[in-house]
Amino acid sequence: MKLIFEKSIKGRDGYSLPRDLFKEIKIEDCLPEYSISKDKKLLSEVSEVDVIRHFTKLSKLNYGLDDGFYPLGSCTMKYNPKINEKLASLSNFIYAHPLAPEETVQGSLEIIYDLNKLLCEITGMDEYTMTPAAGAHGELTGILIMRKYFVDREDKRHKMLIPDSAHGTNPASAAMGGFQVVEVKSNERGTVDLTELAKLMNKDTVGLMLTNPNTVGLYDEGIKDIEKIVHGKGGLLYYDGANLNASLGIIRPGDAGFDVVHLNLHKTFSTPHGGGGPGAGVIGVKKDLIPYLPTPIVAFNSDQKKYYLSDVGEKSIGMVRAFWSNFPVLIKTYVWILSMGPDGLYNTSETSIINANYVLTKLKKYYKPAYDRYCGHECTVTGKEYKKYGIKTLDIAKRLMDYGMHPPTIYFPHFEPYAEETIMVEPPESESKEMLDKFIEIMIKISNEAKTNPELLTTAPHITPIRRVNDALAVRRAILTYDDELKLKDELKYQDKDINF
Amino acid sequence: MRYIPNTEEQKRGMLKDIGVSSFEDLIESIPQSIRLKEKLNIPEAISESESEEKIYHIAQKNSNFFLMKPLVGAGAYRHYIPEAEKFLLQREEFWTCYTPYQPELSQGTLQSIFEYQTYISRLIKMEVVIPSIYDGASATAEAALMSLRLTHKNKIIVSNLLHPHYRETVKTYLSPHEPEIIDLPYKKGLVDLEKLKTLIDEDVASVIIQSPNFFGGIEKLAEISETVHSKGALVISVIVESMSLGILKAPGEMGADIVTGNAQSFGMDLNYGGPYNAYLATKKQYIRQLPGRIVGETVDVDGKRVFVMTLRAREQDIRRERATSNICTNHNLNVTAANIFLSLIGTEGLYQISLLNTKSAHYLENLLLKSRKFERVFDYPFYNEFLLKSKDDISVINKKLLENNFIPPLKICEFYPNENLKNALLFAVTEVLSRDDLNKVAKILSE
Repeated sequence: MKLIFEKSIKGRDGYSLPRDLFKEIKIEDCLPEYSISKDKKLLSEVSEVDVIRHFTKLSKLNYGLDDGFYPLGSCTMKYNPKINEKLASLSNFIYAHPLAPEETVQGSLEIIYDLNKLLCEITGMDEYTMTPAAGAHGELTGILIMRKYFVDREDKRHKMLIPDSAHGTNPASAAMGGFQVVEVKSNERGTVDLTELAKLMNKDTVGLMLTNPNTVGLYDEGIKDIEKIVHGKGGLLYYDGANLNASLGIIRPGDAGFDVVHLNLHKTFSTPHGGGGPGAGVIGVKKDLIPYLPTPIVAFNSDQKKYYLSDVGEKSIGMVRAFWSNFPVLIKTYVWILSMGPDGLYNTSETSIINANYVLTKLKKYYKPAYDRYCGHECTVTGKEYKKYGIKTLDIAKRLMDYGMHPPTIYFPHFEPYAEETIMVEPPESESKEMLDKFIEIMIKISNEAKTNPELLTTAPHITPIRRVNDALAVRRAILTYDDELKLKDELKYQDKDINF
Repeated sequence: MRYIPNTEEQKRGMLKDIGVSSFEDLIESIPQSIRLKEKLNIPEAISESESEEKIYHIAQKNSNFFLMKPLVGAGAYRHYIPEAEKFLLQREEFWTCYTPYQPELSQGTLQSIFEYQTYISRLIKMEVVIPSIYDGASATAEAALMSLRLTHKNKIIVSNLLHPHYRETVKTYLSPHEPEIIDLPYKKGLVDLEKLKTLIDEDVASVIIQSPNFFGGIEKLAEISETVHSKGALVISVIVESMSLGILKAPGEMGADIVTGNAQSFGMDLNYGGPYNAYLATKKQYIRQLPGRIVGETVDVDGKRVFVMTLRAREQDIRRERATSNICTNHNLNVTAANIFLSLIGTEGLYQISLLNTKSAHYLENLLLKSRKFERVFDYPFYNEFLLKSKDDISVINKKLLENNFIPPLKICEFYPNENLKNALLFAVTEVLSRDDLNKVAKILSE
């Protein structure tokens, strides 16, 4: 599609300036000459109508959750309730300046305070910080808390254990936290190998980062032994909450012995993904770790009946961002929890687990499961049976688009020999049985096509706005702005149909 | 439950199809001893209308912020956001989709990011732009880490006039790597260039400079860069009020090697502190050490010009512990917001708003000085924020402003307690304050 720059007409505008531009004041009297830009910075020149049409057209090239099935594994693409959006956009909230006096923001502070209590009860933790902006940001925060805890004890642990099935953010966060990453292999059941864990866990080791159910969608049945091994050697247990959607009202990470928990509010707690954020990656800790939380936290003064931002104290890891939280995400989470209640939360996990096992049961004749056992809220199957027809999992994923569905997560997790060419399906509680049946029917159809007409898959998708892209060229040529493109104008030679669709 | 379509009967049927007699059979791998024995102790579910009423009531405990115009900025600026932006942003295709891993279904988001990269590149005159780190503080911390990797040195000089939250965040992010972090003091409201010359040596990886700085002062970045480069260190230029780019010289013209910028002013609500967004930009030669996601142009099999996430070999899902950063989900919807905003205001709008913010800030400063109740703390050139010392008690002043529906300016002593700034206020002015508003402020404060 044409870029906004290609629609720009000199002299056109899309914004109404205030009437009074303080014309009597000369800019030269305000700013020194060395600071003023010699030329106007060129954006684009389009009208409001142009902007509306441009972005409406762009939006139609996207596929959103409200368009249909979006079974990305470990992403929990569940329905984003509309009332939550309305309530998060009330003017008393959105125009609140982060440095406004505390007495003017008592409502915002109350929500943060109350949500803290609710999340503590749901996960069995003692205190939350609402500060981290995303899951990985929460991971880094949690890891820095663990680090500070040991530094305070003059305990020089420097290794972090991470299962091979973990999200890439786990090892990356541990490395940012200054730890050496040690991988723990999975056993033939797809979960943590206890013998291996016992061997690796020692006095140099900070602890273990665990997702439970893990990224294959499997509950770690050895969780009690894992807890004993890690705590037994003085380590801490970190819970990656990406997959909490399988646990609500059933099991709480706090009760299972986890010391630090991060929650992706944009997954389990229904807030939208926005094409890659903003979400929130709040961190919950047990009592001993509260002094290390990032500063400040919201507290309540019961004498004055007043909420306030409280400095965590000198043990705090410090700040991990400017200001306090991704506040609208917290409101949406708060409203969602209140709308669900205890029964609704249980129903959420129960339904998502039944959904995932239903899909697994119906698909396993056609796509071999990575591990043949009941799963949590997501199931991992593989496309490796189709290699003999020249079909990769990627081809299956692309073919799904032709049937109007977003593909599941593919090629993750990956560990041989069980989990290769993986297809990880997460059908959250907001997906109906009819939708699952349709997905299953299409997947079976694709399995037949793979055998009888593989080209249909290798050339898919066919009916999407664009078709398969040349990733290698994007890296080699590195056109990262329109100005980069303009420099290569003669080489590129786009025809009208290539940019005007 | 209206968000969960499957009925109890359907679930029973599905369990039968799975081949189990009860839900319990599916979760047998969870040890009984650590399961919840009772239901969660949280309030029973409320209806949609009840939730609406409840939140409206809580919202009433905040001030009526729509009518309360801020005289405070300090990293968060209220600018007018055109309704067209808010309307477009709510399209579910932007709002509910995932990170654009599948380009065939995500051209809307991808092209929008590419356009935004172009806008920012032009505004700051840098070649490569990472469009979305969480916020200015975390982006600056990532830039600091990047400078350590690029130079293989472990010492950083940080301007004392970098936003205090940003300084704290840099320290937190860098703490595991135990670098030497040196505070660069200020003199007369700008960084002390002579002091910088004595502090900088061949062991320094980078020098972090915010301009306009936390006091609103415009730094002589070109001169600073010359000093920094003479010892082989990198200049990290930080922009906290990006609207200033409409009138001020681009950091790329003044020797910056890495630029980070808080993009909140480009169409993002204050939202009590977030979500905002930040860009992180550099020169092409440093591309491999960039953190975060970037979009590039390529073609599809039919030869169409298309956009895709690229240069991904730096990222956590591929490189794991060897990645340049752990960042994954970021603030992409804010990028879409900023792109729509910049498209609406356009070349002329950005210039005019930036010009207006400068002028109206100087108008207010002038009024307050004329009232003789205030005096300058320093004589320095500023953009739209300025520091004035009051002859009256600043707590009383702020109370009066609050009563008159203005969010008061920042008591600078809250951030700079040890300095001679006890009775000083940091004012910020944007186009949401009209001449009438500013006259009113001056009148309140002259009484």
